[in-house]
Amino acid sequence: MHEYSVASAIVDQVKAIIEEHKATQVKKIIVSASPYDVIIPELLIEAYGIITAELDKFKNSTLEMQISKAEISCLECDYKGEPAEEGDPEFAYNFICPKCESRDTHINMKNLTIETVDLVIPDN
Amino acid sequence: MSPEKKVVVKKLAYQVNDELADKIREVMKSKNKLFFNMMGSIGSGKTLILERLAAKLSSKYRVFVINGDVATTIDADRIAKQGATTVQINTGGGCHLSAKLIQNELDKINIDDYDIFIAENVGNLICPAAWDIGAQLNITVVSITEGEYVVKKHPIIFKSAEIAIINKCDLDGLGFNSDVLAEDAAKIKSGMKVILTSAKTGQGIDELITALGIEY
Ligand SMILES: Nc1nc2c(ncn2[C@@H]2O[C@H](COP(=O)(O)OP(=O)(O)OP(=O)(O)O)[C@@H](O)[C@H]2O)c(=O)[nH]1
Ligand SMILES: [Mg+2]
Ligand SMILES: [Zn+2]
Repeated sequence: MHEYSVASAIVDQVKAIIEEHKATQVKKIIVSASPYDVIIPELLIEAYGIITAELDKFKNSTLEMQISKAEISCLECDYKGEPAEEGDPEFAYNFICPKCESRDTHINMKNLTIETVDLVIPDN
Repeated sequence: MSPEKKVVVKKLAYQVNDELADKIREVMKSKNKLFFNMMGSIGSGKTLILERLAAKLSSKYRVFVINGDVATTIDADRIAKQGATTVQINTGGGCHLSAKLIQNELDKINIDDYDIFIAENVGNLICPAAWDIGAQLNITVVSITEGEYVVKKHPIIFKSAEIAIINKCDLDGLGFNSDVLAEDAAKIKSGMKVILTSAKTGQGIDELITALGIEY
């Protein structure tokens, strides 16, 4: 479900990139997301396939998802970076700050980034 | 063969949504309007709380409610009976509202005709957290009938809220317990306002109105 709207957000942005570069085809899109973005790569790729099925410029294109590092920010101190290995024993998806040990941290779940797009661009 | 080119993009997939959300927030602010996003689990009582709010606020304010639902107009019809103007967005399977869906509705009305805007997001404790809709305040509603672990299992939706509502407190003691949920909500995000409500009896609704910064 979530993957479907994320996939259409990706396709919309890539459409704009195709326009910008006057490309005729997109070959490959590489995106990245952290393990806490709650995006299942298989579902994202499936959704991408459904959304682009009727789009000529996306014909035979592939979407690849790479896993990026998780990042938390602490609301008590200024720590921003990777969370400690073990999570909060009490709360799912929560992490203790490795610097000040506060559990008042925020895990960034919006890391999904369009990294590169391979385009076919005709001469002139 | 046409040449191929690798374009380095490095842009968040949410970027277009978030930019539009910022724009909505700016427009609302510049016009002195209030816009709230009510998130929460399925059946936690979002609509009944909105009915209560609409009933109280409609005598003094022009309230516009946007109902996000996978299908049907039941929720919008319920709230409209309490004096608010409502519109139902059917997300057609989508699990959350987005800035675009909100903007589409705002385009159909004159913002100046209303004072307070409230969106009831799709019942879901995961997806709405990632999609900014341009509200000034986010509210997360859960109810005590969902069991005592609902905050522990879904802290993320609370992290993106300024106000947490623990609803159905009329059932407190009748096999359900509000204490654990209220404690967990307070623990998970410092500074978040936690309000115990019963949309059935009206408990906590005035406190909610105050927390929303509405003079009443
Ligand atoms: N006892 C009790 N029942 C409540 C309370 N609030 C809501 N309900 C009941 O719970 C059910 C769901 O309420 P809704 O207001 O439709 O919940 P919702 O969160 O809008 O549900 P969806 O939009 O379907 O996700 C209804 O039968 C309500 O009458 C409450 O405070 N106490
Ligand atoms: Mg509802
Ligand atoms: Zn810290």
